Amino acid sequence: MNAFILFFVVLIPCIGGVLTAVIPWKKRTHMLVFLEGLVIANSVLVWLLLFHPPQEMFTMINLTGNLTLAFKLDGLGSIFAGLVSFLWPLATLYAFEYMTKEEHEKVFFMFYTVTYGVTLGIALADNIVTMYCFYELLTLVTVPLVMHTLTREAILASRKYLYYSIGGAAFAFIGMIFILIYGESPDFILGGVLDAAKLGEGTNVFLLIYVLAFFGFGVKAAVCPFNSWLPQAGVAPTPVTALLHAVAVVKSGAFAIMRLTYYCFGADFLRGTWAQYLVMAVVMFTIVYGCSMALKETHLKRRLAFSTISNLSYILFGVVIMTPLGLVGALSHMVFHAFMKICSFFCAGAVMHQTERHYIHQLDGLGRKMPRVFAVFTLSALALMGVPGLCGFISKWNLAAAAIDSGNVLAYFGIGTLLISALLTAIYMLTIVVRAYFPGADFDYSKIADIRDPNWQMLLPLFVFVIGIVGFGLCSAPVTELFLSIAQGGF
Amino acid sequence: MEGLFLILVFFPMAGALVSYLADRKAGGKNVRDAAAILTGVIIFAVMCVLACSGRGSELYVPEICGMGLHFSLDGFRSVYGVAAAFMWMMTLLFSREYLGHEEHIGRYYFFQLMTLGATLGVFLSADLFTTFIFFEVMSFTSYVWVVQEETKGAVKAAGTYLAVAVIGGMVLLMGLFLLYHTLGTLEMSELLLAAAACEKKDILYIAGVCTLVGFGAKAGAFPLHIWLPKAHPVAPAPASALLSGILTKAGIFGVLAVSCNIFLHDAQWGLLLLSLGLLTMFGGALLAVFSVDFKRTLACSSMSQIGFILIGIGMQGILGEENALAVRGTLLHMVNHSLIKLTLFMIAGVVVMNIHKLNLNEIRGFGRKKPFLNLCFLAGALGIAGIPLFNGYVSKTLLHESIVEGIEVFAPLEGFLKMSEWIFLISGGMTLAYMTKLYVAVFVEQNADKQEQKRFDGMKRYLSPLSAFAIGGSAVILPILGLLPNLVTDRIAELGHGFMHLEGEVHQVAYFSLENLKGGLISIAIGIMLYGLIRLGTMGRRDGVREYKDCWPKWLDLEELMYRPLLLKILPFIARVICRILDSLADWLVLLLRKTIFRERKIPHELAEGNELTHLLGVVLDWFRRIKRRILKQPAPEHEVSYEHKLALQREKFVETNTIIQRSLSFGLLLFYVGLVFTLLYLLYLGKG
Repeated sequence: MNAFILFFVVLIPCIGGVLTAVIPWKKRTHMLVFLEGLVIANSVLVWLLLFHPPQEMFTMINLTGNLTLAFKLDGLGSIFAGLVSFLWPLATLYAFEYMTKEEHEKVFFMFYTVTYGVTLGIALADNIVTMYCFYELLTLVTVPLVMHTLTREAILASRKYLYYSIGGAAFAFIGMIFILIYGESPDFILGGVLDAAKLGEGTNVFLLIYVLAFFGFGVKAAVCPFNSWLPQAGVAPTPVTALLHAVAVVKSGAFAIMRLTYYCFGADFLRGTWAQYLVMAVVMFTIVYGCSMALKETHLKRRLAFSTISNLSYILFGVVIMTPLGLVGALSHMVFHAFMKICSFFCAGAVMHQTERHYIHQLDGLGRKMPRVFAVFTLSALALMGVPGLCGFISKWNLAAAAIDSGNVLAYFGIGTLLISALLTAIYMLTIVVRAYFPGADFDYSKIADIRDPNWQMLLPLFVFVIGIVGFGLCSAPVTELFLSIAQGGF
Repeated sequence: MEGLFLILVFFPMAGALVSYLADRKAGGKNVRDAAAILTGVIIFAVMCVLACSGRGSELYVPEICGMGLHFSLDGFRSVYGVAAAFMWMMTLLFSREYLGHEEHIGRYYFFQLMTLGATLGVFLSADLFTTFIFFEVMSFTSYVWVVQEETKGAVKAAGTYLAVAVIGGMVLLMGLFLLYHTLGTLEMSELLLAAAACEKKDILYIAGVCTLVGFGAKAGAFPLHIWLPKAHPVAPAPASALLSGILTKAGIFGVLAVSCNIFLHDAQWGLLLLSLGLLTMFGGALLAVFSVDFKRTLACSSMSQIGFILIGIGMQGILGEENALAVRGTLLHMVNHSLIKLTLFMIAGVVVMNIHKLNLNEIRGFGRKKPFLNLCFLAGALGIAGIPLFNGYVSKTLLHESIVEGIEVFAPLEGFLKMSEWIFLISGGMTLAYMTKLYVAVFVEQNADKQEQKRFDGMKRYLSPLSAFAIGGSAVILPILGLLPNLVTDRIAELGHGFMHLEGEVHQVAYFSLENLKGGLISIAIGIMLYGLIRLGTMGRRDGVREYKDCWPKWLDLEELMYRPLLLKILPFIARVICRILDSLADWLVLLLRKTIFRERKIPHELAEGNELTHLLGVVLDWFRRIKRRILKQPAPEHEVSYEHKLALQREKFVETNTIIQRSLSFGLLLFYVGLVFTLLYLLYLGKG
């Protein structure tokens, strides 16, 4: 296919989003049909691209010298683009029903759709400059989404989100400059672009720069200690928390770190250095930290947000193992976690939408009243714990296998960390499930008599995710093989 | 033939779904029951067919769940597959009446059948990965059994059950991971050779202990037995029968798979298991002796019997090649215990079903004038107590003889093994003692309340024919196994040889020779003595009526004493402190920056009068004056003006004067002349230069 389409898929949602806000819609349904059609069309286009990847790259604009904004589709990018474009139409569908209870719908959908384009921009970026630009842009377009409700809490949260992200981007910028100066090319090349001749004696400086850039991009991936924006940002409407704060935004962070580690600095350059040990230790800590915080959190969505923090670090753990197998583990958890977490978030959103209940102790007995939602939630909880037969188990297995295979001593401890975290996950997810299903024999069901499952627009995405969770869990070999070929540079 | 494996594992799950959906339809009650029972019967039939004709068959389903599923069937697996299917069928038959009036019976059937599929998956698995997958599924689905009644106790016990299952599962996974990494395979048929060729023995031991924790937790081995005495009494009786009869055996299956492959004939490993077995056996028996709850006694008894089985596995390791007695004893005791507990728990179910009570004082005398129940209970009780001519005797004799053989063969451990033998005999005695306690309480004594006793005696229709068939059918097997040891029991024992890699010679054992009877008789004697002691020690009088007292100290509960505080208080506290600090790290950093380099400029502090100098001086002088007053103890005059004010006034005056002077003509002239003088001086200086 023509490389121009790469740019086209980034552009369509941006223009479409703006149009949504500008056109004076006569009826809400018209707007919804337009939006859904647009998003689906774009996703179809992206998937067409994935199956017929254009070989050449598309240069959008040449800033100066070798600084160009350009798009290209490679293996890693296609995974992220495919993931995002699969989830977006479903999340949009879900948002239609959810947003009936919120205000300023048009503005919301404008930014929501623009974010789609920007995220694709990150996925399809050909070089670090492009990625950096879209990365910054992502921060800017998502701030209004966090701020959406305009409560004091939301404004504080969005301010914090902005500070953290901009601060992180500054560090990332340093990394970018170094890559541009000391790299052979600004493009992403598996194995790294650092020019051995220019490196000289200053290895430690480069490692330091790597660590800085890691934390810079890591802000979006909620690496400890830069994670506190994520739970706070949970004040945003659920479609935002589910799609952006479990997939698009936070995984952009993880994706950027993958690019940085494997495609800029190069895994071989970093493996075995103090930088690797440092970031791995931090990541391992974040895994346990996120789980422990989730455990003591009583607000449903915030608990899930803390769980996201921990799970993002699973992905980063795979990344910092710095072997092809590690990248396989990271990629599989990136994809599978997206399904599991968006699923559990949507369930939480469905509960909030139907019952206005936000805290876990209010969920008593709802399992009987909202059987479909809670069946799905239970499944996603089990998957998050890593119960065999569901996709979470596969990705955790891949991660642990990569850790053992790497021969890195710290990575061995990482396996222990994964297990502890699985245990904590079991506790914090199952307490919710148990409450919902077994409120105790003396529970009075008449209090919640008029609560029922939401309509099909909310349920359909849930069922699609469930199929994904079970399907990947039972039959993961094709996906894992695809990841492996990407990690080895075959795609 | 291979497809049958899939039927065994997945057909129950389909049946579960059908029965659940039928339950949700109005008027689908009969369909639901029929679907559940039919599933049970079909599975039993299929399992029997497979066990008879399909031994040695294998099925590999690649790529499912990551590493593929691998099933196979050998003698041991077919014994346990048939046992599991049989027990499920019987309990399903019994459930119909037991849970007939329950609200959530659809849910119960659903998870009952799901667990059936998973359990068969465990018993038929040919590699540890498959075992693990079904083991986990089994753990989670059986959770619902425990929580079924949703009482406070049930929810708490179920929580404990789940916690143990999850922790056990995690540790097990870690163990399997280590094994896979060290040996490169999890196929049970390849493990033996791989382990023998493996250099890194210490890692193998670590991995082995991890798997032991995981499987042992499910089996109910000390010190992770905590869920067992809690979960059984609160679960519905048919579920307790399965929990105790089969689910614990799934744990044992795992332990066996590890010890008979990776640590085959390893004396150290055997010693570890033997010690664990002794603790479990004795601890369980002790708890059972003190218990005054019918089902709790049975649950603790289960724990104790698991101890016996673990001793058998331990002795297999210690005896090395010549471990025929231990191998046969282990398998037979597993089978015996499964079947006995099936009967006993269903009888407990009959009690609960009719009078909804379990305390021995309240159910006392229930069994009088109910000969059918009496006989069935006796078959089980005598069996488990190891009375000759009943089935438990055979397996206990084999286990006992294996310890005796160990004393002869294994010189360095003679002292320890002798001690083990005595603990074994004493525990055997305790088994007899607590079973007698139960029997006497339920079937011999009269209830303290005469009215109540009359009600008990008047119960004629206390059991539906279907349930009676379930109980009778399970009970009738027990004496057959005991009466014909050489004909039936030995054949079953032989089936286990392959799985446990028995290669040594097998002698025909004369079970009723004097020498073999000796151990059993000693146990019986101890048991009778102990029962006397129990009657003396644990029966007290209240309101003039003799009753059973709960003498076991409440605080002596491993869960309340150690696990709960550790997991719920101490560890979270430490983690929370660390988390708190790190959580606020970034925020503190921002705060620190705002307080230091990015501090906002201070709003200038304006003085009411005077300037900085007069203010400072005035304050100091005022201060001195106050001190002087205090030292000399002078009282302060009424209208005193502070130095600060005075100085400010002075300054004001000074400034005013200055202005006046500056504006006057003479000041101007004065300055003019000063200027002239300087000019003159400068000229003079120039002239000189």
